[in-house]
Amino acid sequence: MDAVLIKLIPIAYLVAAGGFFLYLFRGDTTTRMPATLLLSGFVIHSLALAVLFFQAGFATVAVMGDALLFNSWLMVGIYLLIQLKYRLAVLGGIIAPLAFLMTFAAIAVGGGAGEIPPGFQTFWLPLHVTLAFLGNAVFALAFGVSLIYLLQERHLKHKKMTLLMKRFPSLESLDRLNYKLLMWGFPLMTLGIVTGSLWAGIHWGDYWSWDPRQISSALAWAFYGVLLHGRITAGLRGKKAALMTMVGFCVVLGYFLWGDAVFPSRHGGRFE
Amino acid sequence: VQKQVVIVGLNHRSAPIEVRESVAFENSYVRDALTRLRDYPSIHEGVILSTCNRVEVIAAAPDVSAAFNDIAAFLAEQKAQRHAGALDEHMYKYQDAEAVRHLFRVAASLDSMVVGEPQILGQLKQYYDSAQQAGTVGAILHRLFHRSFSVAKRVRSETGIGSGAVSVSSVAVDLAKRIFDRFDDKTVMLIGAGKMGDLMARQLQSAGVETLMVTNRTFERAVALAESIHGNPIRYEDFPRYLIMADLVIGCASATELLVDAATVEKVLRERKQRAMFFIDIGDRRNFDSKINDLDNVYLYNIDDLKSVAEDNLQERANEAEKAEGIVGEEVENFLRWLSSLEQVPTIMALRRRFEEIRKGEMEKSLGGSLKDLSEAQRAALQDMTTAMINKMLHGPISQLKKNSSEEDDDSTLYAAALKKLFDLGDK
Repeated sequence: MDAVLIKLIPIAYLVAAGGFFLYLFRGDTTTRMPATLLLSGFVIHSLALAVLFFQAGFATVAVMGDALLFNSWLMVGIYLLIQLKYRLAVLGGIIAPLAFLMTFAAIAVGGGAGEIPPGFQTFWLPLHVTLAFLGNAVFALAFGVSLIYLLQERHLKHKKMTLLMKRFPSLESLDRLNYKLLMWGFPLMTLGIVTGSLWAGIHWGDYWSWDPRQISSALAWAFYGVLLHGRITAGLRGKKAALMTMVGFCVVLGYFLWGDAVFPSRHGGRFE
Repeated sequence: VQKQVVIVGLNHRSAPIEVRESVAFENSYVRDALTRLRDYPSIHEGVILSTCNRVEVIAAAPDVSAAFNDIAAFLAEQKAQRHAGALDEHMYKYQDAEAVRHLFRVAASLDSMVVGEPQILGQLKQYYDSAQQAGTVGAILHRLFHRSFSVAKRVRSETGIGSGAVSVSSVAVDLAKRIFDRFDDKTVMLIGAGKMGDLMARQLQSAGVETLMVTNRTFERAVALAESIHGNPIRYEDFPRYLIMADLVIGCASATELLVDAATVEKVLRERKQRAMFFIDIGDRRNFDSKINDLDNVYLYNIDDLKSVAEDNLQERANEAEKAEGIVGEEVENFLRWLSSLEQVPTIMALRRRFEEIRKGEMEKSLGGSLKDLSEAQRAALQDMTTAMINKMLHGPISQLKKNSSEEDDDSTLYAAALKKLFDLGDK
């Protein structure tokens, strides 16, 4: 049952993405259809995760191969929350395909492999994972917002009006939302790193072990830190800020997708 | 005889402005004109429409050619006598489907000079109301105009004909809305006291801008303009110092040298902590350095850019107009179907009258003869019964007539002719 349920997730997101594209490029007037599709995808996604958690336990699922499944669930959930306040259907056009890619990759890679040794199953693990993933999800949304900003900015600079442009919110509100997401994402990421480090200290004996995931997280963290600092003090905003937000997320995502294969890490399930 | 829809008039395409003006109806005069129109025996119902771009008489009339002549004479009378006769070549005359289509297209703003402009619908409603008050609207024009209003609404909601700004100043406001989220916390600086700048400033104010600075080489003119638009005048020498406060800068000075160069803006931006700026150059000559647009967080549009966006939007509207024509076509058919169903009304009435005559005659005969001893109550019951019988018998044929006239395959004329012959209905 859960196997079928899981396979339904990327399909639902793909269909939702198609709906958003119709809205963006074909001039369909409402977003009710794609928004409903995305919501139903999210419901299926939630159900599937609940089944997995029930069968294998939260920590095992969230940490092992299904991490992408968990992370994308957080991302869609946060988008739906934002959608309640800002009417940002355009962002759905980025989030839906991204959710499709992430869930599809999760299934292709295959999840649930390996066991977490009982000794490691303290509350630090789910705490660390949830915080870190929440940070990732917020930055994924910031990535989407930045992409929209850059597209809108490009249109305005090149003086081309298109249907797409009419769908976009103003640069000012995109930049403000981007800033807000950074203000949420950065503390979450910081806490994620701190809890992870504490957990490592408790179980491995060293807080910092030059693990590839640790290094990439630290890089991304420093990068976002510079961005946040620039925003607060030096008026770093607009195009540059959007570009930096996107680069920062690429560091996070890039490692997430391919890092384990290239640089074996203790995050890949090798706990000893 | 069945009444038809007739339109005679002239618009921005058929007649030059002098001719249109010479026949235009002043608002206060429309009522009188309507009563004068009603005096023509050929015109049964009439509405006068008179805007800057068109003067038209929409009428319902049984005899089309008589109506054409009478309306033409009516309009010629309106025109100054010495030019009379020159009017004919500028007038268009529509009847039937073409007339209905024309009115629907006018209402949907497909016949406007700027296709998709929304004012025409309001004007149409206003002139329809005047005609209704003057008592020159009957069943046909009532239905026709209300259909035209809903056609206009349909076109507006189902096509993008009204979307996209098509004037330079509204394009600028539209662009500003893509850069800025809100305007009540924004400051506008207006350099030069030209007419375009004034217009632009007012449009931005209605978009929400509250703070306005005005500067001009002649300080007195800046003061005068600032007063009229509730802005603050600034001395020309001082304006670069105030640039740091300005989110939108409008240039409409006719200076020969650049007013603001890129280096200045770069410096201003640093002081503004990179908060976005929008430069709108609407002067005849360039007011702002074109390199300004290369800086981050600054957008520069000159008059040619704005015009080209406006033209793109107009093109877009033209594409949407094709969709709108389809909607108009559908609605014209619907209306004509309704109109032809009216043709059956005389036949239906004659049929009812014929049966009623028979019923009455027979009742009188019987009640005066063999049934003369019946009580009042019994007589009344008999009346009711015979009436009900007639109604039941006629129900089938009448509803068939009504149904046929509203359906695609139109046998209604055939049925009507048959009924006339079978029941000897005559032509009265």
